[in-house]
Amino acid sequence: MPVETSLPARSVVLSLYRTMQIIRQTEEELARCHQRGLIHGACHTYVGEEAIASGVAAHLRREDVVFSTHRGHGHALAKGMPPKELMAELFGRQTGCSRGRGGSMHLFSPEVGMMGTSGIVGPCILQACGGGYSFKLMKTDNVAVAFFGDGATNNGAFHEGLNMASIWKLPVLFICENNQFATEVPFSYAAGNPDVGSRGAAYGMPGFTLDGNDVLEIHRVAGEAVQRARTGGGPTLIECKTYRTRAHAEGMGDFTYRTREDVEEWKQKCPINRLRRTAVESSQASAADFDAVESEITTLVKDARDFAEASPWPTAESASRNVYSEGAAAAIAAPPPATRSITFTQATHEALAEEMKANPLIFVMGEGIGIRGGNFKTTAGLYDLYGPERLCDTPICERGFVGLACGAGMTGTRPVIDFMFADFVLDSVGEIINQIAKMQYMSSGRLKMPVLLRGCIGIGHSAATHHSGNYYGMYAQVPGLRVVVPSTAADAKGLLKHALRCDDPVLFLEHREILSIKGPVPDGDYEIEFGKAAIVRPGTDVTVVALARMVHLTLSVCDDLQKSGISVELVDPRTVSPLDVDTILQSVHKTGRLLIVDEAFGPCSIASEVSAQVADRGFNDLDAPIKRINGAFTPTPYSPTLEKVVIPQPEDIARAIRELMAE
Amino acid sequence: MAFEITIPRLGWSMEEGTFVRWLKKDGDVVKPGDAVFELEGEKAAQDIEAVDGGILRIPATAPQPGTVVAVGAIIGYLVGDGEQIPGPAGASAPVQTAPVVAAPAPAPAAAPSVRRMARELGLNLADVTGSGPAGRITAADLRPARPAAEALVSVRSRIASPRARRLARELGVDWTRLPGSGRGGRVRAQDIMSATPATGAATTASVTVPGATIPISRHRRTIADRMTYSRQNTAPVTLTTRIDATNLVSLRQQFKAAGGDVVPSFSDIVIKLVSMALEKQPLMMAQWAGEQLVIPEQISIGMAVDTDAGLLVPVVRDVPSLSLMDLSVASGDLIARARTGQLKAGDMQGGVFTVTNLGAFGIDAFTPIINCPEAAILGLGRIRREPAVVDNQIVPRDQMSLSLTFDHRLIDGAPAARFLQTISQALETPSAWLLSSP
Repeated sequence: MPVETSLPARSVVLSLYRTMQIIRQTEEELARCHQRGLIHGACHTYVGEEAIASGVAAHLRREDVVFSTHRGHGHALAKGMPPKELMAELFGRQTGCSRGRGGSMHLFSPEVGMMGTSGIVGPCILQACGGGYSFKLMKTDNVAVAFFGDGATNNGAFHEGLNMASIWKLPVLFICENNQFATEVPFSYAAGNPDVGSRGAAYGMPGFTLDGNDVLEIHRVAGEAVQRARTGGGPTLIECKTYRTRAHAEGMGDFTYRTREDVEEWKQKCPINRLRRTAVESSQASAADFDAVESEITTLVKDARDFAEASPWPTAESASRNVYSEGAAAAIAAPPPATRSITFTQATHEALAEEMKANPLIFVMGEGIGIRGGNFKTTAGLYDLYGPERLCDTPICERGFVGLACGAGMTGTRPVIDFMFADFVLDSVGEIINQIAKMQYMSSGRLKMPVLLRGCIGIGHSAATHHSGNYYGMYAQVPGLRVVVPSTAADAKGLLKHALRCDDPVLFLEHREILSIKGPVPDGDYEIEFGKAAIVRPGTDVTVVALARMVHLTLSVCDDLQKSGISVELVDPRTVSPLDVDTILQSVHKTGRLLIVDEAFGPCSIASEVSAQVADRGFNDLDAPIKRINGAFTPTPYSPTLEKVVIPQPEDIARAIRELMAE
Repeated sequence: MAFEITIPRLGWSMEEGTFVRWLKKDGDVVKPGDAVFELEGEKAAQDIEAVDGGILRIPATAPQPGTVVAVGAIIGYLVGDGEQIPGPAGASAPVQTAPVVAAPAPAPAAAPSVRRMARELGLNLADVTGSGPAGRITAADLRPARPAAEALVSVRSRIASPRARRLARELGVDWTRLPGSGRGGRVRAQDIMSATPATGAATTASVTVPGATIPISRHRRTIADRMTYSRQNTAPVTLTTRIDATNLVSLRQQFKAAGGDVVPSFSDIVIKLVSMALEKQPLMMAQWAGEQLVIPEQISIGMAVDTDAGLLVPVVRDVPSLSLMDLSVASGDLIARARTGQLKAGDMQGGVFTVTNLGAFGIDAFTPIINCPEAAILGLGRIRREPAVVDNQIVPRDQMSLSLTFDHRLIDGAPAARFLQTISQALETPSAWLLSSP
């Protein structure tokens, strides 16, 4: 055992002891409650690891932020969450820190800087980078801390996150709690280099390996790291070797992968007893001091349990609230008449430039969006105005910077992720669906998620299958996301402005083959609300619902059809989530016929959804079966002759309309 | 204090487990973390550790090895030295075993199509014995039970689009009797519209204030649908002409002066004369039916009636068979019933031509909309005494405008003009025409 040469002040020692006791006693009470059947889902305790959260959090201010893991009770308590809110959450009650929405693995208390725990391993590392990025942009000296287990260090998020934190010198502490098992897989088996602390060097940042049961040592090293972060010295990696002395989760068998003897041996290394012994031996504090703290906490935890048990259940009506932000919607002025014609790309550039000028919290991240101005000229000229922090070129690590955007959005800035091609961002779908989309809901609306994810979709010009994807249907299936698929320059500008002002995460998907199409765009400021379809062309005989490029292709056949007596009403939903079904239903009420033209794959698509909704709510208006034209259900081929046949062509659309009229 | 020993949940979805055995004996001292009993969950048997300490007390009613126990059940106690098992519960610890619930009788198995057939036949599937695999009810099983063979035929023989069914319901049309123009003979909205004469009504003459929203009545919707349908599916051309109506006015005055029970209206006289003109030019009542034009066998003529409920077009049947007086009685009855909302759907079906009169409102010429599936409609303007040149003299004469809209798809301009010319001659010399009628 290392010799503690100098102990911190008595108040610090007792404070560390107090935090550890809060964690230990709360966890033991939770274990008891789990056995009694009062906790409904999983319960991952932090027993044995208390020194780490306590030693690090002792240096944090309320404004500093913590991002944590599935084993996060200790982090929440150490950051200042009252035990009663934690217990009520695990009891599933309205008074819980996440209002009963999260349970053990989703603890949110942004009010005290506890930005959330996650059931997924890795994202907290990236979100802490986002917190650090926000603080850097807002020029505060706050720091962000990621707590994660040894399992996360073998995950891509670790690599991507540490690298980004290093190159941008972000004020972040990466605290690896190496408890030697990732769920039940030994780290000694799973890691080629089992020394995590030494990996700091691989990213150009200080790295430490500490005894994770020595709260004083953790406290000392973390203090230096926090100071370094606050003063612009960048990130630090700290590995704390420790052990959890209860099962992975309460109720799970524990001795199929480790022995009773091992557990017993580590119980003897209890960090709480160790601090007490050390302090008493060196006369820094007395046994009576510690006893007083312990008994105070016993009362606190008992009260917490009583509070939890007496708390009301959340109401059924609240189950679907806060999926999207519920702030008062600002009045949205109708677009003034258009007086000029510009391209789709020019229109979105105007929207971004105007909003960046108005809102200093907006920053753009992506590959080549800095000096270069974007592969599609999305940010041309903006770097000269706003510099590298707001026009931030990234390494090619989509998961990394999308996860960072999540953390930035949670901490007060407004990231714009320019991912160039929608295909690229598939590497970060976990961050989008599991984190970004769910964050407002899981925090019961206390966190906002103003993250804009933009990039190109669409087939054309032999881009082949990794630069052609249309994935809006997939995103539209996820509650919490807004999905925008504009077809015209005017719509693109108004919708992008709205995206940059709303508090919801938005996927803004731009069909590459229409970027240079010019269209009338109003001068001046305007927004277009999500969920309002456009009647592109009124008609009486058949309703065609089309998206993005398909709007243009459909429009190209309407005049010919009109000459043969078929009047087409063309509806462009503009956003697929929310989807304006009412406008489509009104149109079908008039025409009695519906064709959906969508370049994306057919199964479980927007076309399927529109069909189902109309078949359900508009059944009595249908004078013919609903028809769909989708892109071929195949990866996108390269050769022009192959590519042509997988995209709906104007003649396909015209034929389908004629056939529908004969039904 | 005494602590309860309860059955914990092992894994997320466990609701009950099997108690395997005690690992401590009654009276043993148990420390937190000691394994107390063995429990078999969904995955495997597991030693359950105490979360509290004390002396183990196992009540007589504790589960025997092999018993299924519910999560949360109390199976024992940890008590202090000399402490008793708390309360009466100690004597009979509430070991909960999983209740056996009788499954509800399953609904008889049948395919959706069979269920639909049963619904349509008004049969309860529970009353039918299934002959299919595992007692599944098949279509054949329904046949002996069905009340009438006819019912099944009518269920299966025809298809109509949902929109057509809705329109048929609204218009009181029996769509099962109509030929369908859609794929596979599907009856479509247009088939219902073609089979229905103009009907329906506008919104009632309710007070409308600026900014008010008026709900669209079903009648208004029907009028809108039919008007729109006509505009989109015909090639309407309107011809107008002015005629000398002096003789017509004079004839009506003679009927009045004669003092009979019935005085024919201008419209009655016009309808009669139009039927005679149609006999001369039957193409003017041709109807488009699939790949051919059909000339109706009977000349029945609709007359547009303005009512509080909106426009209605009752039909005077077989006009050539009626004397002018009979016609006048028939039209009077139809108008009265139209204005009191007593017209039946059948009163508004079967017309081959429509006469509409806006003269009472001071209108001269207008562009009437064809009442599909008819081919033409005649609009009557007001009759006004105006200066006219007769034999180089300016003399007062009764003048009237006629507006004939015809469907140019079926009828060319020249024959339509000839038809209007025929009507003009008839209206200018009504007595001669009426007296020459058989």
